[in-house]
Amino acid sequence: MRRETQNILLLLLGGALLKIALTGDYLRYVKPAHQPWLLGAGAVTVLLGAVAIVRDVLAARERPGTLLPGHEHDHPARSAWLLMVPVLAVFLVAPPALGSDSVTRTRSGSTAGFASASFPPLPPGDPLRMTLTDFVSRAGWDEAGSVDGRRVTLTGFVVHNEGETWLARMVIGCCAADGYPVQVQLDGDQADELAADTWLEVTGEVVPDVNTAEAGYVPEFTVGTLRQVPAPRDPYEY
Amino acid sequence: MGETAPTRPERRLRITSVEVLCVVLLVAILGQSWLQSVFDSPALRTGATVFVAVCVQALPFLVLGVLISGAIAAFVPARVLHRVLPRRESAAVGVAGVSGVALAGCECASVPVARRLIGQGVAPAAALTFLLAAPAVNPVVIVSTAVAFPGEPGMVLARFVGSLFTAMIMGWLWIRWGKLEWIAERALRRLPEVEGRDRWKTFAETARADLVDAGGFLVLGALVSAALGVLVPGEWFGALGDQLVLGILVMAILAVVLSLCSEADAFVAASLSALPLLPRLVFLVVGPAVDLKLFALQAGTFGRPFALRFAPATFVVSVVCGVVAGLLFLGGAR
Repeated sequence: MRRETQNILLLLLGGALLKIALTGDYLRYVKPAHQPWLLGAGAVTVLLGAVAIVRDVLAARERPGTLLPGHEHDHPARSAWLLMVPVLAVFLVAPPALGSDSVTRTRSGSTAGFASASFPPLPPGDPLRMTLTDFVSRAGWDEAGSVDGRRVTLTGFVVHNEGETWLARMVIGCCAADGYPVQVQLDGDQADELAADTWLEVTGEVVPDVNTAEAGYVPEFTVGTLRQVPAPRDPYEY
Repeated sequence: MGETAPTRPERRLRITSVEVLCVVLLVAILGQSWLQSVFDSPALRTGATVFVAVCVQALPFLVLGVLISGAIAAFVPARVLHRVLPRRESAAVGVAGVSGVALAGCECASVPVARRLIGQGVAPAAALTFLLAAPAVNPVVIVSTAVAFPGEPGMVLARFVGSLFTAMIMGWLWIRWGKLEWIAERALRRLPEVEGRDRWKTFAETARADLVDAGGFLVLGALVSAALGVLVPGEWFGALGDQLVLGILVMAILAVVLSLCSEADAFVAASLSALPLLPRLVFLVVGPAVDLKLFALQAGTFGRPFALRFAPATFVVSVVCGVVAGLLFLGGAR
């Protein structure tokens, strides 16, 4: 691959990083703390490509006809063509955040779990707004049963799985590759007809259960009210 | 009289990579709606998201790595490195392992740095130890492991010791059996020493070339890992709770396949609460030392003959180190 092509690819790659970092699309792929890293890496990549282009142009103007610097020890960097793949993926396909497909795919056993846990008391509020992670771990593992009998509001997307309807959310530690789902099973048929990946805000109560939850446990949730909401800017929990 | 062409060769229409790039971009932009319809199936969408996520998460670290590599090439003369490192190779391996604590990045950052160290005349054994130690024993990884496993200080200690010993044992193995000819010639080439303003030129040019070289291989690793991540059945994670040996093996292979960032893998391991601690520890020790994207990066940087020998050896050593560290610090296979 020619040096000029490499530099153009660097500009495109850096541009792709800057684009997702600035538009907020990066939240589909990594956690919010990565934004400065993405901005820095994008800027450095663009800069390395731009500096090389400017230097080559200047050198070519000074000594027309001579080889550009660096040409003499160029080796065929065919692998660099692969840099096109993320560039095209970001600019043209823009893959969405992980959704119901990931939930059904990684379902078994990977629910947030705590061997034995004591949780701090819940703050006041009726209904109380909770993350799915917090709700599921309290419903399954809190010996004091702090969510039993409390009206809570949960936000997540619809998943249809083996005849059950779930409200789920993906949890990521660093990037979407390490995501795992948390979910509750929605009782009643209010959500059964909704398309998968529809974002909902549901208010209701947990169906009290014995607190001997095993990994993979999905709490049941009695739905009081339910309304559709737009997908949040930041689709994951952490 | 058609012999005028040789006098003005640059006027001929030549297809170079620049033209190819333009055509590819044009076709992709024109076919955007088709491209999006192809990616409309759930499995492909998930795979595409995971692929972009791995790239987006790893690229900043690779950029950091090539900047450090450029800085070493431009500002750290070979004689300084010679003076700092112990003359005996086996001692240099120890120093390299411990100095891995200083580079707070994930594994993608350490590959270009290790290659530059070798180029500047550091013993390969020491540079390779650094390559394995840096992503696994740095403070960010240790803290994130402690956060992911609250109330399990043994886990943090076991991971640190297991990873450090993996790195050092690989260094000592290299001293005993490693051969320089396995490493591609371009990785061994020493850059000429430079002074003054030329240093900045060397810095920018080295970083640029390293980024182009390694970037493609990072993408390759991300592609393979995303594809396998979608294809590996989720049931692998569960249902292994009471089969310890199988659990250890499956977790070791999963660490290779998933290619997680070493700063995040602890959270994944913590979420797999169906498994005992020991297989999860092996997952954490193997992951930063050898995984698909790292293998692709190593093959691209040091050459395929090197990677084909180094990666399997690292796999075996890291599994053994993980198991031993777990037995010592976790008090058995909990």
